[in-house]
Amino acid sequence: MKTLIKIKPKTYTAGEIVKVDFMAMHPMETGMRKNKDTGALIPAEYIDEVKFMFNDQLITKMVIWESLSVNPLMSISFKVPGAGTLKVIAKDNKGQSVETTKAITPKG
Amino acid sequence: MERRSFLKGFGAAAACAVALPTIASAAEEKKSAGPNEMNFETAVAAITGGKALMPSAKVKIKAPEIAENGAVVPVKVTVESPMTSKDYVKAIHLLASKNGNVRCANIYLTPANGEAFFGTRIKLGGTQDVVAIAEMSDGTFLSAKQNVKVTIGGCG
Repeated sequence: MKTLIKIKPKTYTAGEIVKVDFMAMHPMETGMRKNKDTGALIPAEYIDEVKFMFNDQLITKMVIWESLSVNPLMSISFKVPGAGTLKVIAKDNKGQSVETTKAITPKG
Repeated sequence: MERRSFLKGFGAAAACAVALPTIASAAEEKKSAGPNEMNFETAVAAITGGKALMPSAKVKIKAPEIAENGAVVPVKVTVESPMTSKDYVKAIHLLASKNGNVRCANIYLTPANGEAFFGTRIKLGGTQDVVAIAEMSDGTFLSAKQNVKVTIGGCG
């Protein structure tokens, strides 16, 4: 699972509210789709939990269902308290888990 | 003339024969329940625990009125709130009223967010309402909905 964290805007100060975009490369299979050749159901495979942590403190927890689009984007707001590390832990229903970190470096 | 009408009839019959199996398989597909299938009423009851939903202008949904491709529908939800430790939005629940599993995402926020916002892209099986429910720290549930017309469904 490839992932990416983007902070918008790119430069920010402490105390500013920024947008945190988390993107993951994931098929997000609903489990209701059929293989066109064999007619067999494609098993469900989707991200079901995403946690946003800042300096190991939980900011936002998401419970995700299969209705999110392929290669899902999840975007939240975050009030930058100061410098630190933002960590996003994403887990899918097959137990695959991935951790992504991004340094938070406010200017000024 | 006779030959022509015969051919026409034959063509129509052949078209029927081809079309029938696909109709049958479509009906079958509708019957097969997904692993997380849940209807709108059940999902709302599970979120609110039987409390009343209050439609509120504080909850804003930004989604296209007409989505050409149901597989990728951008949705943004903002809830007006000071986001202090006493008064904040505990959770934003995003639902698509007519999908097999109406639940899209349950977002549990904290005052550290600074602003109650959630943006994503969802799949919609057809024209339906996108509903956002905001669970406030005082235990009330505010909601807003927006109808999205879908030209091509995004489920399968």
